[in-house]
Amino acid sequence: MAHFVSLFLYIGSLIVWLRSLVKGGRGLDPSVAFGLASLGVLVHVYSLIAFTSSYGQLPLTGIGPSLSSLALVIGLALLGTIVFGEGRRVGIVVIPVIILLETVAIILGVRPSFEVLDFQGAWFSLHVMMAFVGFGGMTLSFAASSLYVIQLGELNNKRMGRLFQFTPPLVTLDRISRVALVTGFVAFTLALALGWFWTISFRQSLDQFNPKVLWSIMTWLVFLGIFLTRNFSRMKPQRGAWASVLGFTVVVMSYIGLRLLVSTKGFFL
Amino acid sequence: MIPVAVVGVSHKTAPVSVRERFSFTNAEALVLLESLRDYSGMTEGVILSTCHRTELYVCPGIDLDLMDSAVSALKRKVGDLVGGTDQYLYHYSGALAAEHLYKVTAGLESLVFGEAEIQGQVKEAYDSIRNASTARPLVGPILNRLFQSALAVGGKVRSETPVGQGAASVASVAVGLAKKIFGGLEDRTVMILGAGNTAELVVESMERNGVSGLIVSNRCLGHAQKLAKRFSGRAVHFTEMPFNLNKVDILVASTAAPYTLVTLEGFRDALGGYREKPLLILDLAIPRDIEADVGGEPNVFLYNVDDLKEIVDDNLLNRKASIPIAQDIIAESVSSFLDWNQTLEVVPVIKDLRDSWDQERLNQLKWLWQKLPNLPENEKEIINIFSKRLINKLLHEPMSRLKKGVGNGKREDFVEAVRYLHDIQNVSPENTGDLKKDPELAHSD
Repeated sequence: MAHFVSLFLYIGSLIVWLRSLVKGGRGLDPSVAFGLASLGVLVHVYSLIAFTSSYGQLPLTGIGPSLSSLALVIGLALLGTIVFGEGRRVGIVVIPVIILLETVAIILGVRPSFEVLDFQGAWFSLHVMMAFVGFGGMTLSFAASSLYVIQLGELNNKRMGRLFQFTPPLVTLDRISRVALVTGFVAFTLALALGWFWTISFRQSLDQFNPKVLWSIMTWLVFLGIFLTRNFSRMKPQRGAWASVLGFTVVVMSYIGLRLLVSTKGFFL
Repeated sequence: MIPVAVVGVSHKTAPVSVRERFSFTNAEALVLLESLRDYSGMTEGVILSTCHRTELYVCPGIDLDLMDSAVSALKRKVGDLVGGTDQYLYHYSGALAAEHLYKVTAGLESLVFGEAEIQGQVKEAYDSIRNASTARPLVGPILNRLFQSALAVGGKVRSETPVGQGAASVASVAVGLAKKIFGGLEDRTVMILGAGNTAELVVESMERNGVSGLIVSNRCLGHAQKLAKRFSGRAVHFTEMPFNLNKVDILVASTAAPYTLVTLEGFRDALGGYREKPLLILDLAIPRDIEADVGGEPNVFLYNVDDLKEIVDDNLLNRKASIPIAQDIIAESVSSFLDWNQTLEVVPVIKDLRDSWDQERLNQLKWLWQKLPNLPENEKEIINIFSKRLINKLLHEPMSRLKKGVGNGKREDFVEAVRYLHDIQNVSPENTGDLKKDPELAHSD
């Protein structure tokens, strides 16, 4: 029930964000939309705490609970944008991602997984949570970068319409994208290191032909590519923004592709 | 008829040299209004005095003598003008006066169409007169209602139409652009190249928005120093400009040079390579000071005077597209104000009706106390309250219908019918002042 409530709050938030976009970001709509999203996150937190206390396990295994947890991490990342003032308007891109993840989670069922994993316990939880923080950072960086690209287009084409008025300043978007990317990259690197450390210690193997390991390495390389583009290329902010947008798209598309190609059993999320 | 009138001058009827003579301080406004109240029969009055208009709102506006006195008072304030004062004055009364105030508050009559500042100025004028410590209040129920509804209309027009959207001057477009690139303007440095009125306005506007540093570069160092002093900035000779280019966030170019001052090659040389921070360049000069290709450099946002003008024109066009919707909102509000005003006209009969029924209630209670002499005091109080509640309940529906009927233009018939049915004598309309405290009227607000 709580999952439905949080989903409705997220949908309400998206509707208000879209209305705000039509009005050029004037009035109280951005605050209302952010408020609804915050309420959604609160209810979402409650729903996952209830899951943990009911089933005696963290919602980190099984596709439904994992997607819901990932959605929550992205929601929490959105709440963090409150310190960037107008930057919280990235919610218009972030909220649809949360809605999509939570809807799929509800459809598949937020039920405990009875899959027995050899990698478990605190290290496993930390590994998964760090990976989720990594994906959350990448999603937020993608959202801020998408708006950056849009605002750059508006400025270069000398348009000052509603889209221009709604979209946050370039410098703010660049800052959000950078902070989210660095946080996500560090967390994802840690998650990968924990996973490999465990694999090498207990399986005495790198398990490098496992599709999920390959996909994780590819994701880390994408992260690294975005990071390098953002820090060492000419036209850093512009190319960094494009790299975040393309990198996120590559990661999502490759994940969907792998899920379709590889047997779902044993593949994470 | 709404008993309000307005007389005034605005940017549409008078040049600034005339308008400034009509300008009132708060103290001067109070003196004039008190004099009109004490000697010319004015019951309520407000003076709105801004850079672009001075308007005197008076009540009762149907009083022609009062209007003459109001016009004379304004003429006395201005003194002699070539060709006379009348040519600059306009006046409206009744619904037109209300409509005019609504348009003014919504920014439809402003020099910069749709500007929002006027809303605050109207509120300030109204508040300053309403809160002034005078022997008797200068703002009563009519102007209270009129100004409060005008402020509500202004808010509604701004929130429901694009009348206030988009910057409407080159300076505000420049600030808007800078804010959308840098977020805030705090900790930003502006360099002004040459000087010109528009460029100075842009810098002034940016300074108001908090830019932290200003560099003025000019061929004549003396001119640069003069301008730099005005804005608490730093003056540099024109030859030093390239060395400062990498230190600034915003460059405003406005020289009278007949050739391009900053070429792409010169720009690249000045930066010594790639520029990491964004640079907003506003080229306000004709012919242009900055080569157009500079705008294609990474992190450079170049706008020339035509780009800025085009944005202003688009915004103004967009604002003006809202006129029909704004006029609908205003027409609806004028109609609602008319209805309220008509309701005010039936207050005497409502008061008489209540008095008559209340008298009858007291008579019946007196009879009851005689019949039940041993009734305890607390029970008497309960019966007393009950009788009041009963009267209120019985009168509520007829009074509501009476007000609705008045709004539908059937005032005379309804009032006559009520007086006949309840055997109420006619009372003088002067009683209206006291009767405005009637609770039913309060509800009608």
